[in-house]
Order: sequence, then structure tokens, then C-alpha cells
Amino acid sequence: AHAQDAPSIRVTVVDSATRQPVPNAQILVGGAARGTTDAAGRLVVRNTRPGTVTVRVQRIGFRPQTRQVTVSGSGAELEIALATQAAVLSDVVVVGYGTRSRAEVSSSVAQVGGEQVRNTPVAGVDAALQGKAPGVQVTQNAGNPGNGITVRVRGASSISASNQPLYVIDGVPLIQENASQIGFGGQGMTAVTGLNPDEIDRIDVLKDAAAAAIYGSRASNGVILITTKRGAISGPRFTFNAYYGQQKSARRLPMLNAQQYVAFMNEAATNDGEDPLFTPGTDDAIDTDWQSAVLRTAPVSNFNLTASGGGDRFQYLISGSRFGQDGIVMGSGYNRGSGRVNLDATATSKLTLRSSLALTREHFDRTENDNTIVGPQANAQANQPNVPIYKEGTTTFSSSADGLAYANSVALATYNKAPGNSLRALGSVEAAFEATDRLRINGRFGADVYDLNERRWDSPRVADTYAVGATGVAQQGTTTSTKFVSEAYADADLLRSEAQKLTLTVGSSAEFNHNEILFLRGEGFGSDQFQYPGSAGKIVTYDGRATQANLLSAFSRASYSLNGRYLVTASLRTDGSSRFGKDRRYGVFPAVSLGWNVSDESLLSGMRRFATMKLRGSYGVTGNQAIPTLYGYLTSYARANYAGTAGIAPDALGNEDLRWESTRESDVGIDLGFLDGRVTVIADYYSKLTTDLLVSRPVPTTSGFTTIFDNVGSVKNAGVELQVTTQNFRAREKGGFDWTTDFNVSHNANKVVGLYQNQPFASGIGAVNYVAVGQPIGVFFTYKFAGVDPQTGDAQFRKADGTLTTSPVAADRQYVGSPHPQYYGGLRNSFTWKAFDLNAFVQFSQGAKVFNLFREYSDDAGYNTDNKIANVLKRWQKPGDVTDVPRASYNGTSGADFVSSRYVEDGSYVRLQDVTFGVRLPSAIVGRGGVSNARLFVTGSNLKLWTDYLGYDPDVNSNGSNANTALGQDFYAYPRARTISIGLSGAF
Amino acid sequence: CSADDILTTPPTTAVAATTAITDPVSAAAAVAGMYDALGSGRYYGTDFVIFGDLSSDNTSHSGTFSTYRNADQNALLADNTTTAGIWRQIYTGINTANNVLARMPDATYLTTALRDQYKGEAYFLRALGHHNATKLWGAVPVVTQPTTSAEEAGQVARADTATVYRQILADLDSAEKYIGSGKRTTTASLGAVRALRARVKLYRADWAGALAAAQSVDAMGYTLVPTYSDLFSLTGSATAEDIFRLRFSDTDQNSESYYYFPKTLGGRYEVAPTTDLRSAYAATDTRLAWNIQTSGTRVYGAKFRSVSGTEHMHVIRYAEVVLIEAEALARLNRLAEAVVQLNKVRTRAGVAPVAATTQQAVIDAIILERRLELAFEGDRWPDMVRTGLATSFLAAKGAKTTQALYPVPQRDRDVAPGLTQNAGY
Repeated sequence: AHAQDAPSIRVTVVDSATRQPVPNAQILVGGAARGTTDAAGRLVVRNTRPGTVTVRVQRIGFRPQTRQVTVSGSGAELEIALATQAAVLSDVVVVGYGTRSRAEVSSSVAQVGGEQVRNTPVAGVDAALQGKAPGVQVTQNAGNPGNGITVRVRGASSISASNQPLYVIDGVPLIQENASQIGFGGQGMTAVTGLNPDEIDRIDVLKDAAAAAIYGSRASNGVILITTKRGAISGPRFTFNAYYGQQKSARRLPMLNAQQYVAFMNEAATNDGEDPLFTPGTDDAIDTDWQSAVLRTAPVSNFNLTASGGGDRFQYLISGSRFGQDGIVMGSGYNRGSGRVNLDATATSKLTLRSSLALTREHFDRTENDNTIVGPQANAQANQPNVPIYKEGTTTFSSSADGLAYANSVALATYNKAPGNSLRALGSVEAAFEATDRLRINGRFGADVYDLNERRWDSPRVADTYAVGATGVAQQGTTTSTKFVSEAYADADLLRSEAQKLTLTVGSSAEFNHNEILFLRGEGFGSDQFQYPGSAGKIVTYDGRATQANLLSAFSRASYSLNGRYLVTASLRTDGSSRFGKDRRYGVFPAVSLGWNVSDESLLSGMRRFATMKLRGSYGVTGNQAIPTLYGYLTSYARANYAGTAGIAPDALGNEDLRWESTRESDVGIDLGFLDGRVTVIADYYSKLTTDLLVSRPVPTTSGFTTIFDNVGSVKNAGVELQVTTQNFRAREKGGFDWTTDFNVSHNANKVVGLYQNQPFASGIGAVNYVAVGQPIGVFFTYKFAGVDPQTGDAQFRKADGTLTTSPVAADRQYVGSPHPQYYGGLRNSFTWKAFDLNAFVQFSQGAKVFNLFREYSDDAGYNTDNKIANVLKRWQKPGDVTDVPRASYNGTSGADFVSSRYVEDGSYVRLQDVTFGVRLPSAIVGRGGVSNARLFVTGSNLKLWTDYLGYDPDVNSNGSNANTALGQDFYAYPRARTISIGLSGAF
Repeated sequence: CSADDILTTPPTTAVAATTAITDPVSAAAAVAGMYDALGSGRYYGTDFVIFGDLSSDNTSHSGTFSTYRNADQNALLADNTTTAGIWRQIYTGINTANNVLARMPDATYLTTALRDQYKGEAYFLRALGHHNATKLWGAVPVVTQPTTSAEEAGQVARADTATVYRQILADLDSAEKYIGSGKRTTTASLGAVRALRARVKLYRADWAGALAAAQSVDAMGYTLVPTYSDLFSLTGSATAEDIFRLRFSDTDQNSESYYYFPKTLGGRYEVAPTTDLRSAYAATDTRLAWNIQTSGTRVYGAKFRSVSGTEHMHVIRYAEVVLIEAEALARLNRLAEAVVQLNKVRTRAGVAPVAATTQQAVIDAIILERRLELAFEGDRWPDMVRTGLATSFLAAKGAKTTQALYPVPQRDRDVAPGLTQNAGY
């Protein structure tokens, strides 16, 4: 230490039982938060004064400790051993522009530790969040590797604007739009997938408006704050983590074999007075299992190596990872290489500098699927089983000439290609200047630079596709997105007495978003060996454009606490957005929250049985600006070329009054810890009303326009969340038996309160999802199936007046179910004993309905020629049969082919998502090589799914992660894998 | 830079409507934009043309689109998205023309001749739009001002048929006054104005007017091409029969042949010709050989041959004018002259000429000839409605006779309280 420096206190925090370092423990000196410990459990508290000070250490799961420390001129060294305690209230919470002790927070924030999202064999951190945090609903949409995930924090609040939460990583908001220009049905790509779970230290979810409002206009859907790992003061330390697994389709659909198919289709024809379609014995001689032809066992692997360490003034963490996942459907896959360098430097006693930089490269191999009838998986479900894959005795793929109704699924998987690469640099530099011991000034410059190159080749070799006539179709697109953020904020401790604390944060932020795209689609190729638009006979579609969207903001937050018992936090953010017209640009987003640490109240001695008890209440306003257009205010002209002649024409009808969508949310919550801290409970009730919805509302098309962006309508979400952690068995000594249970469950009720002229509207494939006042967003609206007439075998439908009909009309449609679950959550049990650990995680969702549209073609009584699912074996066959599957009917006379609630299925499920068994290898075996903490683990993922759903997986939406209203549809979704993996981690 | 500068980020591929048309180049582009509206897949690019046959006895549905199936079955509902799309695109074209007309008074940067020509083209296209709408919906809204706000857009109501036709004929008069005498075929010209007037008067049963208009086209030197198939060449080469056709290209494609062609030829086989149409042709008719072909077991419409949709679409061609003239003459009971006109078209097709018999027989022969000559060009259903054939056709199918007129889109009625529905929906 330099002579002019004020003395430092070096604190090391360890677990009293295991002597392992405790990271993320918060250190308070003299009542002021001074930071958290690093991965090695260490923190150097600089700039203290000689004399006796009080040092307090707190960390979730441990009993807090307070020590009196005498600091000499050369500082002090201190080791604190914390005893475990299942408590959630002493944790550190990242709140946006700062951290707080959980005890000081009066808003609703959920946390997920980095260890909970690691070693799950999925690409993205968003997928790994499923079931881990109350109020955070994750929908996988489909099983393809690297697929875009839907995340909803406390329900969907918007109809046209984005419903995805804001992701902020180390203070930098992420580019998170679906950047893909080449559509693959419902399969989206989001930039969130590229985040490497190995680099993540912790995730904090700002759920209520009071917590999120500091992010103002982008906070309506909640904010997910991701903190990456950082270096620590230690010698060089290397940690590694690797796993390898095998994936297989978790389920197979029970499709008919050739014999069953031929018999069924013949029955359908004869039932309707037609000649039989096939000759049994001849036409069913070949039996093809198309699913087995395109599904495969595929590997998944991950390897990460991290080096970290540093001295007093400089710490580093350097990490590199590679994740690779082949898809279980032929031709699909995803892999990612990523590196991160996080540096921390103490430039002077008052100035610290930090830099964080991650470089990522992703490679995608996509196949068309979900919401298509020309995809390998989709066509494997549709192709008839009595047609061979190859023409008899050849290696030529069969086609419609051989009796296929759709393109050969194996040919599609073999010849068509859709590779893509992304490059990303995400990072920030920060400076923190301690002007006085009460005033800190922080500056940050962050950037997210994302470049996506994608390509698609539709080969003319695949018979019965558009590419045959066009002699090949090649598409190529590049997207370059950049986001630059420049922020400065100051923290001032205005009051810092024993009794009263008042902290003020004031800052401003500017965000610049730029996006540039190029796109080409060419047709007509010399041969299948030319697959880029550069070799095309002609370019048929092209695009090239740039967009810019900027945001200027000022924000402030004041937190006051009295005797550590009464807490008040208020925040205010003003955002100016380029997405609105001159007079509507600025929005103001205030929030306030109150907290009362009841257990510290000496008057209420009866409360003493609770280790902790805190009541919280909050109210705030957040906004949303994420509409699909940046120019909703502008009446404009755009390109309207007349076959090669440059042309322009009216393009959009603008609305200069367009303004922010706003959400008012109130929340009441309680944090409890009792039975000596072995049980902790966090419960919340919230109610939020989103008004001035940004929607594209219809105008009469006689105007020459279809829609105009407007602020109309409102949506309400209300719900309860419960998180319970119990320490069922507490190890009394090191290596003893320890059992912890984490349980969370959430309920959210979503309701549309108002719409433009309160007119309902339809969306989704088949227009079955409705947005209607009084109903949840995307409610299913269709004919109500009322069983099969036992006399005729015809499908019957219930009319609104309760009577039955076999020929329903539009007016007979009814609301038949919601795509939103009533309850969802997760249950984790963790056991440790001696060198062994066992972790089992169950995730569940109850009450959501899924529209299984695949059945419109496979359970249609034979109206279409697609192969059928085994459900049709239960069909009505003779008078008196009591069943709910209508009579086979080639011409649709049994009414089975009506889109109706017959296809709306219960999507409730319970999934044994992960079971991990680990064993710490004895140092006698591995210690000689200098390896410590070596752990061998085996993980099974998606091991068991309990559901009545007839498709592959009820956790589905074939409209992808961008869908707001077309929810809960399964139209040939990519199946989900079951994975068994084995891994090794350790340090040296 | 100031906060306002940072927060002002105009688009790169669109411009404010107020500054869009300011010089000769942008004015020419705005005129081209009017034709682009016609080439949409909802209009001459696919749906409008295909539905003109699909609702009739010419074609039937063989694909998967339920909105198409409903048209084939003459069981349209008010929420049919294809008919709603046709309606919408016709009015998009009208609004585009109205925008051009509204800018022309200020377009002093143009020569008078060019400014007049642009006005003439815009009046013509507005007339064409309103006539296409009234053919399918009967009484339709007449829109003569560009839309500038959502409030204006909501104030829409239907005019009675007489008012619609008055506006159409007035627009054609203005078009004739301004458009000049330049002969063009891929944009509107004087010949197109006069040919459309002949068609409009025929639909109004103003036989003398139709005859006069058709004869005014005769005088302009259009002739029938000797070989029928030359009209539908893949690249859309010009013929002496062209009066007004829409250009399509690699980047502006139509989907006619993609929808007609079977999968084996790279199409989607959404619609197929009926046996009734096929058997209506004489075996020696060169139009049968061109229009209807067979691939495997599939009989398909082959008039348009480029699956990537680059052939031009005829909006009006001289053969139709000849048949209008024939029909007008027949209706005026000038049968011998009528048959002369009719036989021009028959001879070109390689089928035997017919002789004048009774008035009704000649009229029937002419209506049949229109069916054969203009098959797949979207004229059959409006003809059937105009001549009353639709009533017996619908009755024979067990469909409601109110299906003769398409439903006014429910979606528009939901947001325009003044918009009434056709009977039966």
C-alpha cells in the first residue's frame, strides 16, 4: 500500500462448515455498504480511517455477522466465517444502477444464482430460467437448438408492442430483437440465446413497477439484470467445467402404420360412398416410419475454462467456452464459441476502473419447421406411411409421383440448407470515482454490437416444392445491429447516522441504436452446387436499409430508512424517445415503495419467533415503446416500383399523437424467515393495468390504408407469487446430510379490458386466437365440440343457446379456453452428503390450453391425405359406438374436419426437468495433479413429462417468441429432446 | 447536438407524404406507383383475376385456401380475407390515383403536356378502380380525395350504382381530355380510356354508347394478333392487340401460373379448370390447346406459363373490344354486323365462323365466345352477373342468389359505421 493511501480492510468470508469461500457476501462498514465479496470470498474495503469500526457481513443462506475491527495505519486483515441459514432476506440485490441489501429493498425482485442456469443442456440463459423464479414464465416454443424463447414477467401486458422483458447485462441493455430476416415458421432467433451461462454470476429479475421503473420506458415487461463473474485477489486460479450428452426425442407421436392407414382411408372413402382408395395387401406392402427417418440421436457438449486472479490493484477474469448442440431433427444444429475478459483496476485510492468484454460467435443450422408444410419434421408427420423414402430399388427420393401428398421429408432434410453465423461484441468500460466518502460518481460506456449472417437454400432437387419450378431459391441476409449506451450517475449518502440513512442516486443516460440490413433472394441456378444469390439467374427480392432509434433519459432514486425498520424508496425516470412525434416524445415514470422490517420492531415481541419479517408495498408507472415500427407518427411514401420503373406511393398513415404505452402496477409483499431461519417465504400480490396500448388499429380500407398506430385499449394482469425455501435437514458438521427444498409457484390472471371500439379481432393460424374484451389475450374462439352422435358418428357442436348442431356457422363460435396457464412454477430438492450431491428439479404449468393444429390434418377423419395419429383408431364405426372421435369420412361429411375445440387440448404438464447426481472426487485421486474441488456429475434433462397432451410437447408455440396474441398453437413444432449428460468440473 | 436532433431519426426508406412529390422525377415515380398498386397479389397480380373465374363455372378449387374454397362454393362470408383483400387493393389504387391528382395543380415543374398526361392516367385508373369494385360489389363507395387522416378514413359510405357509374364516366371524360394521344400499352393511353368506356357502357347496357366507344377504338389501328398464344408470352412482348396490360418482372411477380400449375411443375395447384369449361371448347380450338393442359392426372390452367410470374397481365385487349362491339350490335339487333365481329375472334382461334340466326342465339354465342376467349382473365364471373347467368348457376348449385355480389368486408364495416352490407350476408 502506498503511504498516502487511507488504510484498507481486507475481508475474507468463508463458510464456517466447509471453509469454502463465500462470494457475493455484502460488506458494510460503519453501516455503509462497501461492496460484495468476489468468487474467492474476498473484498478489499479501501479508504477507511484508522480506529475501531463495525464490519457487518451478510449473504443469503447465512446468518449475518457483525465484528468490531481495529484498523491500524496499514489497514486490517479479517476472516469471517458465516454459518449457513436458509434465509433470503440478508442477500444482496442488484437493483439497477446499484446494489442493495435485500433487507433494504421494498420492491419485488427475484434472484437466480448463476449455478442454477449452468450445466443445463440448453443454449441460452433464458431457456435455463424456466421454473426458477416466481413471476417469470418461460415458454420454449419449440425444441430446435438455439430457438428464440418467450419470457413473460407477470403476464403479457401488450397486444402489439413487445412483451419480452428488458435484458441488462453488467449495466448494458442488450440487443434482443429477433434479428432474423429469413423466416422459418415460428422458429425465432433472439440475441439473448448468445449469452453464455458459464459467464453468469447471478440474475436478478425486477418484477414490480417500483423495482423496474428506474428503467422507465422499457420496463413494462420487467427487467432481467445479469451480472457476470469477475476476478478476485488471488494467485492465478483456473476452473474448468465440461459436459457431454446425448439427446433423443423425448416422445414419438403414435402415427398409423401403412396397414392401419390404408384401412382407415378406405373406410373413410366407403363411408362417403366413394370407391376405396387403396388395395389392402398391395398398397400397404411398404411401411415407412417417417419420424424415425428424420429424428436422430444427437450430441450436446459444453466446455469452459476460466482463469482469474489478481493483486491489490488489478484483478482479472478470462474465460473461454464452447457449446455445441446438434438437433434431434436431421440437418439442424447450433454451436457457440465465446470468450470474456473482465478487468478491475484500482487506479488511485479514489478511482476504480472496470471493463467487461465478451466476444461470441454462434453458428446455426436451421431447418424449416413450425407453421409450415415444407419442413423435415412437419412433413415427417404428414407423409403417408405406405410410401417408401426412396423409389423402389434406387437412391432417388420418392415424390408425389409415388403417392406422397407433400414433399418428401427426408429429401427436404438432405438437400435444403439454412446456415447462419452471428458475431457479437458486448462490453462496457466503467469508472467509479469516490469524490468523498459520501459521494460516488460513476460513468459507463457500453456497447452491444451484433452481426448476423444467414442464408437459406431451397434445392430444386426436392420434388414438389416451389424450388423445382424456380430452379432453386437462395436467400442471404445480413443484419448489423449496434447499441451504444453512455451513462453517468452519482450516489450520495445524504444521511448516514445509526438511525437514519438517505441515499440519493441521480443520473442520465443516452442510448443510440442503429440497425442495417441487406437481403437478397435469387432464383434460377445452374445446378444444386450453386447455392448463393451471386449465382442466381435473377434476383427477385432485395432489401437494404438502415434505421436508427435513440433514447435520452434522466433518472433519480432516493432511498430512506429509519432505524433499519422503515424503508421508503422513490424513483423517477424521464425518457425521450425518437419513436414518437415531436410533441409526444417525453414520458415520465415515477415509482414509490415502502417497507417495514416488522421483526426488528421491539414493541412487537411476539414477532420474535420470526428471524425476519418484512412487509412491502409499492406503486409505480412503467412504459413500453417497443412497437414494430419506429415511425408510427409519420404519414409517408415508400417504394412502389412498377416492374422495374422506380415508383413511390402512399405507404403509411401516421399518428402524430402516438405516445407511450403505460403500465400502473401496485404490489404488496411479505418476506418471512422463521424456525431459526430454516424456512423462508417470499410472497407477493400484484395488480397491473396497462393502458394506451400501442396498437395497429384498423381503418376502413377504402382509405387506401389498412391500419394506423394508435393508443387504444388496456390489459390487466393480476396475480400472486410464492417462493418457499426450506432447509429440511441441516448438516451439523462438515459432510453431514443436508437437504434443501426450493419451491415457487405463480398465478397470473390476464384480461383484456378495452380495445378499439371494443371490437374483438382474430390472429394465429386458422384465426383461432382472439383478442376480446373480458377475455385473456389470445383466448381460443371456435366451434365448441360436443361429442359424437352415437347413432350417426357425426361430430356435434354446441351452439351458444345450448342446442346441438352438426353444421355449425360462424355465429356458433365460443370461447373455449385460454392459452395462459393458471399456475406455473418449479420445485427443486438438493441433497448433499459427504462427497455426494443430488439435485432434482421439477417444473410445471397447469391450466393452459394448446391448440393442436396438427390434428386438423392428422385427426380429420380422412379429409386430407396426411398420415393420421393413433387417436383415429378410437373412431366411431357403427351405431351405438360411444366415442369422441367422429366417423371416418373422406369428404368431410362426419364434420370431423371442422376446426373446433376438439383440437383444443389441455396443455397442463409436470416435467422432471433436471436430475443431477454429483460426486466430489477425493483429493487422493486428483489432488496430486493440483486439481481441487473436482466434481463428476451426471445430468438427465427432460426425463419425464406428465401430460395428457397428444402432441410432442405442450410447452409450445409455433408462432415463435415474437407472437403476442397468436399463443398456444402447435403446428408441427420441433420435438423436444431428452438428454443424458456427464460432466466434470474443478479448479487448479 | 441538441436533444431534438438526437431524437429525430427519420426513416431511410420512406419519406413524409408532404415532401414526397416535389419535382419531375418524384412525380414520374408517383405515377408509376399507381400501376404498382394494380400489380399487387390482391389485384391483377393474383386474387382479383383468379376469383373472376373461381366464382364462375370456369374453374374450381383444388388447393388448401379456405377463402378460395368458399369462393368456389359460392359460399362467401363477410369475413373472407381474399375478397376483403381485393376490395382493399382496389381502393389502395384509387387512393394512390387521388394523391397524384391532388398534387398536380402544384406541379408547375412539369411541362403542361406531361402534367396533363399524368392527370389523364390518374383519372383513368380511378375509373378502372371504381368499375372493378362495382362489378363485384354493386353499389360501392366513391372516393375522390386522398386520405390524410384516420378521421377522414372513417367517413365512408356506399353510393348507389348510378352515382358510381356517373363518377366513372366523368373520370373517363376527364381522362380522355387530358391523356393525350401517345400510344402506350403498359401504361394508360387514349386507347385504354376509350376501350374502358366501351366496357363500362356495356355493363350499363348502354348498347349504342358501347358501340360508339368500341368503334372509336377500332379507328386507332389495333388489330388481333394471328396467333392467340403470342398474347401470353413469358416476357410479355408487345402485340398489336395490346391496349393496356400490366407489366410484371422478376422483382414484381404475379402468382397466376403458380396457383394454376400442378406441384410436379412447381405450382401449388390452388385452382383448376372445370370439365365444363374444357368441353365448351371445340377440339380444334387453338385456345383450348394453349389454355388447358394435362400433367399426369392433373388437368390444369396453362394460359400463364411462368411459375415465377413474369408474364404481363392484360387489363383490356382488343379482342374484348371486338366482342363488346359484337355484343352491342347484337343487342341493337344488327345481327349480321355482330356476327362479323364475333367471327374475327373465332377465326383467329381456328374455329369455324358462325352465321347470324336469332338475336338471342347470337347474344348467347357472343357471351360464350367471351368465356372461351377471356378464360382465366377474370371476366367470366362479372359477365355471368351482368347477363343474369349467375342467377341460374347459383340456383343450380344450391347456393344463395345473393352470392352474385361479393360481401362488403366485415372488417371495414366494423370501423366504418356508414358502410352497409349487401343483401344475404
